[in-house]
Amino acid sequence: MAYLLIVDDDADFASAMDAVLRSEGYETGIETDCEKTIDRIRERRPDAVILDVMFPENDKAGFQLARSIRRMFGELPLLLVTAVKQSFLLGFSSRDLHPAWLPAAGFVEKPVDFSLLCKMVSDILARAKGIAQQSLRSQGDG
Amino acid sequence: MSSETADTVWTAYDLPLQGRPGLESADSSTPAESDELILLRNQTWFCSLRWLAIAALAALGLLGWVTTVLSPIPGIHLDPGWPVLVASVLLLLNVTHLIMVRKISQSARRAVFARRGLWLQIVLDLVVLTAVVHYLGSLYTFAPFMYLFHIVLACIFLPYAQSLWVMLAGMGMYVICLALESTGLIMARSVLAGVLMPDRRVISLAVLAWQFGSVAFVSLTVWYLASRLSNALRQRDEELSGINRRLVAATEERAGHMLQTTHQLKSPFAAIQANTQLLLRGYFGSLPDTAVGVIEQIATRCEMLSRGITAMLQLANLRSHAQNPPPPVTVDLSALIGSNMAALRPQAARRGIVFEQDLSPAAVQVVHDHAVMIIDNILSNAVNYSRDGQRVWVSCRAKPDGGAVVVVRDTGIGILPEKLPRIFDDYFRTTEAAAHNRSSTGLGLAIVRQAALAGRILVHVESAPAHGTVFSLDFPSSPGKPERPDK
Repeated sequence: MAYLLIVDDDADFASAMDAVLRSEGYETGIETDCEKTIDRIRERRPDAVILDVMFPENDKAGFQLARSIRRMFGELPLLLVTAVKQSFLLGFSSRDLHPAWLPAAGFVEKPVDFSLLCKMVSDILARAKGIAQQSLRSQGDG
Repeated sequence: MSSETADTVWTAYDLPLQGRPGLESADSSTPAESDELILLRNQTWFCSLRWLAIAALAALGLLGWVTTVLSPIPGIHLDPGWPVLVASVLLLLNVTHLIMVRKISQSARRAVFARRGLWLQIVLDLVVLTAVVHYLGSLYTFAPFMYLFHIVLACIFLPYAQSLWVMLAGMGMYVICLALESTGLIMARSVLAGVLMPDRRVISLAVLAWQFGSVAFVSLTVWYLASRLSNALRQRDEELSGINRRLVAATEERAGHMLQTTHQLKSPFAAIQANTQLLLRGYFGSLPDTAVGVIEQIATRCEMLSRGITAMLQLANLRSHAQNPPPPVTVDLSALIGSNMAALRPQAARRGIVFEQDLSPAAVQVVHDHAVMIIDNILSNAVNYSRDGQRVWVSCRAKPDGGAVVVVRDTGIGILPEKLPRIFDDYFRTTEAAAHNRSSTGLGLAIVRQAALAGRILVHVESAPAHGTVFSLDFPSSPGKPERPDK
């Protein structure tokens, strides 16, 4: 059973996502404090992180956290959830959302269509599993 | 602008490819230049003036050769040697300056070079000009008034006090010229030598003083007027720059507030919408039909509000200068339209509306998000303002010279001719449109307008009330320099 960590300062939204994902058979955890996320991941490494990109005190905290997670936890899949997703001008620079710079497996825009969310989570986990198996095979070949 | 087919009157409207009058940005899109760069640029401009002076001197040399060798003019003696010599000196100065500018413009010594170089050029130019005055005739000719060129230029480009120094330096050199000539240290010259070339030693000091006084008086007057005028213009320019800086800062602040406000508004709606989904999908058991109806109403209103907020954000984004927009990328419009139609089909199908498509691959250079916003809004409008069971035609064609044309046609409610020019205004909704589609934000075409301006996309609309609307989008092969969006 895959374990998903939901990181969102909006507890209501996070618990709604939690309910849906649990009903899909995933094990879930909720973290509403951006700064405690790294410790939560260290405590128990999730199979994927669903991360809100904007936090009250710093509207780029989610992006910064995403980069930190990539730096510290390698290929841990990240699914970004955002109320504001425009890859231009206001809010985020294009660099913030550029795939070469931002290590996200995908974006979901709020309000979230839960069918889409479940599909994206499923795809991301399948992709991560495929990468892991490929990596194991190549190690075996080596 | 109007064309008539059968008994239907169609009215056409082209979206102007510039911002609304009175709403143009006061911002300069280029970063503020440093003082040194401005100085260097001005010096380079002086160099281009010097090329003109070199050409004039060369022409004078030629004239001197003609009037001396080929066809002498009585009373006029123009030695062809000195103009060529002076032109050569100016040429050397110009070439040296341009080489130095190229070498130093990127270096840390740029500031020093710019300031020292400016004064060195001024002094050298005045020396060369004094030589020209000497050769043309420091008395009884127009030559001494050529100092006015330098004085006016100094008034335009330099502050009050510095332009005064230039004027004084010019007058000082003229006095030196007169003194050297009248004391016999250098031989006086004049193009009018054959007519009046008295021995300077017999010219009284009063005549010299009168001559100098006349030139100095005119120079001082011109300096006073030009520097006053220039100073007033400079002050006005600084005021405008200050206002511009405040405008840019206010725009950036507004953009930041808009982001925060959007987030603050959209997040609670997202939470409400998420929880309504939980209830409607039965995650917490089945609900009575009346409760489902109420929750559906809540979900619909949340969706409308959320869409409205997204539209406001998109518009604010397009109008914001806070950050640079992403660069244009190659987008196949037919693929983009195809995926957009696929997303709209369920909504259209609920009302029996069918898309008919004729899409050919058409790659254009465009900001991807802008293209998505334009296509999404135009296609959504075609669906929203069609009547149940109608068709929407969509075509996309590459143009032979690059770029593409997209045409979206519906047979829906149409737009009244007098309202057509206003449909791209923020929050403008015709009464007929508002009655037909209550969930419209009134911002869709305002977003299209801004994105089209940014990408230099021509938007042509033709509409006939009760018969439908045709939107034609003419995408250039590359957007070039974007229009400044409205504030």
